[in-house]
Amino acid sequence: MRADTEHTVFAERAQRVLEESVSHIDAHTRSRLNQARQAALAAVEQPQRAAWRPMKLMPVTGALAAFAVAVLLVFQHGGQVKTPVTEGSANSLEVLDLLADDEAMSLMEDSDRSFYEWAADESDGAAAAPDSASASG
Amino acid sequence: MLSSVYNMPAALHGDTLLNDTKAAEKSRALNRFLAGIELKAFKIAQAGLRHQDDALDAVQDAMLQLARAYADRPEEEWKPLFYRILENRIRDMQRRRTVRGRVMSWLPFSRGEDDEEIDPIAQAPSPEPAPQARLEMSEAMTALEGALHELPGRQRQAFLLRTLEGLDVAQTALAMGCSEGSVKTHYFRAVQALRIKLGEFQT
Repeated sequence: MRADTEHTVFAERAQRVLEESVSHIDAHTRSRLNQARQAALAAVEQPQRAAWRPMKLMPVTGALAAFAVAVLLVFQHGGQVKTPVTEGSANSLEVLDLLADDEAMSLMEDSDRSFYEWAADESDGAAAAPDSASASG
Repeated sequence: MLSSVYNMPAALHGDTLLNDTKAAEKSRALNRFLAGIELKAFKIAQAGLRHQDDALDAVQDAMLQLARAYADRPEEEWKPLFYRILENRIRDMQRRRTVRGRVMSWLPFSRGEDDEEIDPIAQAPSPEPAPQARLEMSEAMTALEGALHELPGRQRQAFLLRTLEGLDVAQTALAMGCSEGSVKTHYFRAVQALRIKLGEFQT
């Protein structure tokens, strides 16, 4: 109990000394603290005033970004726009070439059809063989 | 239709006025709060950093962060939040100073922090002769500030927040980010250590 009282008395004295030292802070420091406070208050007001700007500039910025990406793509591919070519579309292009070519068509009609049928059967058989081998194995 | 056209700008105008009034009130409240604590906050920062410019920087950073991040929080939360930010800032600066000190010690011809140019005007003695009481108070201040600096950071923080800033145990715990029991322990140990160092100094 006595120790608590002594602690309290000491703390009160220390408090007086500290408060006295606060009252002796020089004018220059007070002025700088005041400036710091004004800067902090300005920081509170600034975001509210500037908040509309990003929202208003968003469409313009978006359009500019899209344009920049388009320009970049065009220049990267040397002005040629490539379309993806799949295996199926390549085959259909070959068929179109064949149909457009009269000579090739007449060759197909004149030639021995049985040979082509045999070749087709052979290729089908070769494709089916691994399946049957795996089924038997 | 006509009435809605005429009503709309009036309503919007009213909202803007209300928002402006709220913002102005908040700004005034924050100004009052910061003006009320800035001197004590500076003293607390100075006790931790023992450097006037660093202490000013720490207080300014804490003010800015509080204003930017916590201005919308209830006013009663500002004080513990502010001191929490300030203490983090003080700790960051102490760490940075330690690292800088280590690096500088490796460099040849490096200037220490104590080698700063001394302002002769600031160092000039006051023309007024100090009265005895003021001299004693000044000595007590110097002794207390020196003893405070030698305390572990958490003890110093607990002591200053409780004694100088007058925060209660719960607010101090919030500011220090620890339990109320820890605050009591830090504070008790701080007073004990200061009493051993300073004795029953008279003021």
